[in-house]
Amino acid sequence: MKKILGMVAALGMLLSLTAQAGDFAEQSIVLQISDPNPFKQTLVLNVASNIIKHYGQDKVNVEIVAFGPGLRLLFAENANKGRIKSLSSSGVKFSACKNTIKAMGKKLGHAPALVSQATPVGAGVVQIVDLMAKGYKLVKP
Amino acid sequence: MKNNNIFKKTLAAATIVAGLSAIQVAEAANWLMLQGTERPGAAPRAKVWGFIQPEYQSTDGTKVAAGAFNGNDAIFNQIRPDLNGSSDLNVLRARFGIRGVSMPLDSNVNYFFLAETGNNGVTRYANAGTAGMRMTDASVTLNNIKGARIRIGQFKAPMGEEALQAVHVFDYINFTGMTNGLMLERHFAGDGSGTFVKQTPTGATTASNSNDVNAPISGVSAFRDVGIQVFDTFKVANIEHSYAVMKGNGNGLNRGDGDSNKDTYLYYSAEQVYGGKGPKRQGLKGYIWSIDGQRTLTTEGAGTYDRQRSGFGMTYRKGKQRASFEYISAKGMIFTGSDGASVPGTSIGQLPVSGPFGTNPNPDLDGDGNPDNQVRVSWNVATTGEANGFAIHYGYAITPKVELDIRHDVYNRMTNVTNAERIFTTTTLGAQYWLNKKTHLTVNYELRDAEAPAYASTSNTAKVLDSLDNRLSIGLLTIF
Repeated sequence: MKKILGMVAALGMLLSLTAQAGDFAEQSIVLQISDPNPFKQTLVLNVASNIIKHYGQDKVNVEIVAFGPGLRLLFAENANKGRIKSLSSSGVKFSACKNTIKAMGKKLGHAPALVSQATPVGAGVVQIVDLMAKGYKLVKP
Repeated sequence: MKNNNIFKKTLAAATIVAGLSAIQVAEAANWLMLQGTERPGAAPRAKVWGFIQPEYQSTDGTKVAAGAFNGNDAIFNQIRPDLNGSSDLNVLRARFGIRGVSMPLDSNVNYFFLAETGNNGVTRYANAGTAGMRMTDASVTLNNIKGARIRIGQFKAPMGEEALQAVHVFDYINFTGMTNGLMLERHFAGDGSGTFVKQTPTGATTASNSNDVNAPISGVSAFRDVGIQVFDTFKVANIEHSYAVMKGNGNGLNRGDGDSNKDTYLYYSAEQVYGGKGPKRQGLKGYIWSIDGQRTLTTEGAGTYDRQRSGFGMTYRKGKQRASFEYISAKGMIFTGSDGASVPGTSIGQLPVSGPFGTNPNPDLDGDGNPDNQVRVSWNVATTGEANGFAIHYGYAITPKVELDIRHDVYNRMTNVTNAERIFTTTTLGAQYWLNKKTHLTVNYELRDAEAPAYASTSNTAKVLDSLDNRLSIGLLTIF
């Protein structure tokens, strides 16, 4: 009975660890975009694409977190929206900082429209910290 | 009647464009969008950019070979814009600009600014006839209305590809005869009729004496105008359709309107894109355009005259090959160069007038009882003249860094006046070498020929036109 309980506990721990980093993923990477520079926007998408190509779509978790001026990457009217759609279909997640959305809304007079692939998160920087606590590695292209 | 003719030409050109679309071939760069808009969500607040183009040009410097100005410098063998020598090292273009979105959070408003400091037709007569720096572009585009973007200010007006394209990606150094003569508008106060020397096909010479050079009152238009343009691009069934409708002053880079008449510009293109982006996007494009306006002269030949231009063409770019064809037709305000093909301002002293009854060495053309003093060569504009021209170009990239080009263009000037008709034919051999993606060297050799169909080959007019030299041009251009 003790052996069975021990095996169940070990299996539970293993499942828990796997869930933290994504199913079958060998790597988990969070990419930060907080810069208004258009070249940085293109670069962060290139990096995400290269990571997917290298590890394979099923063996890596990639999440791009946009906050501050970098939120422009996720605007609905965006020169890169085609690439965002393509990367999303490859499993890349896109997180948009709610604090930035609110601040930009004050300047614009309305909340900026975002691409449908963007998921609002409480605060971009907190999202990055939380992901790192779950084993993600932070890359700032 | 006038509008009917334009409509017929436009319809004919539209048929050609439709045909191009139907055969599923595609085009090149979309200049309306490249110059008038920014990439949404990805444009900087202010991108500083520009380009510098030093050059060397040379001809044999052959003098005017016959006629009243025999032995004087021939204008077509002098190097522009100074026209004081047959070879010249020059900084042809030196432009700097800023473009972007004034508020990065709002992609609906973008701007474009560019200034010219080089030595060319824009700056040579920039400020009331004196040289100086000149702003070439200053515009704001509003992208709020889908399908009807609005561009306001000073910018390149919609017209043929050679004029509309960004000059820093131009495959040659000099424009074709038709684009230089018909589209690169010179602005004058008069038509230059104060001084003229004419030889008829029968051999008689007539002349009028004047000190008036009829110098340009400002720099050339640089294919730009101040106005408001509505434009956009749509993709339908894999074909990218673009249109532009513009109202402008019709006064080039000058402040304000020269008169109260506005020019109307119409443009349409259809293109299928093969791939790539920006100025060197691959594909095939067909386009048509027209310009309808008026110009007012206040001195010699004072009056208001129609100025109409229309044309069509195609561009092709795929892999190592690129090609283009363009046709332009023009009515009114035809720039006809200078008296006797000499350099404006040249004084040849008293002009003997010859005719069927001999030569009068002391003419009194103004009838004041005294012999006339001198003839000074002037610039001329044929206010009711007509002209047309075409150009065909082919280029082949033998390596990623080296491209060979050949262009053949024919400019038929003053087709409606038998004695004044001149046909300029130029074949340009070119090579381009890219030192890097932003810097390239261009070498051109132009084989130039001119003829006057109404005149015998032994006439003075034919001899003058035979003075036209070939021209060597070498240019280095870097973009930053």
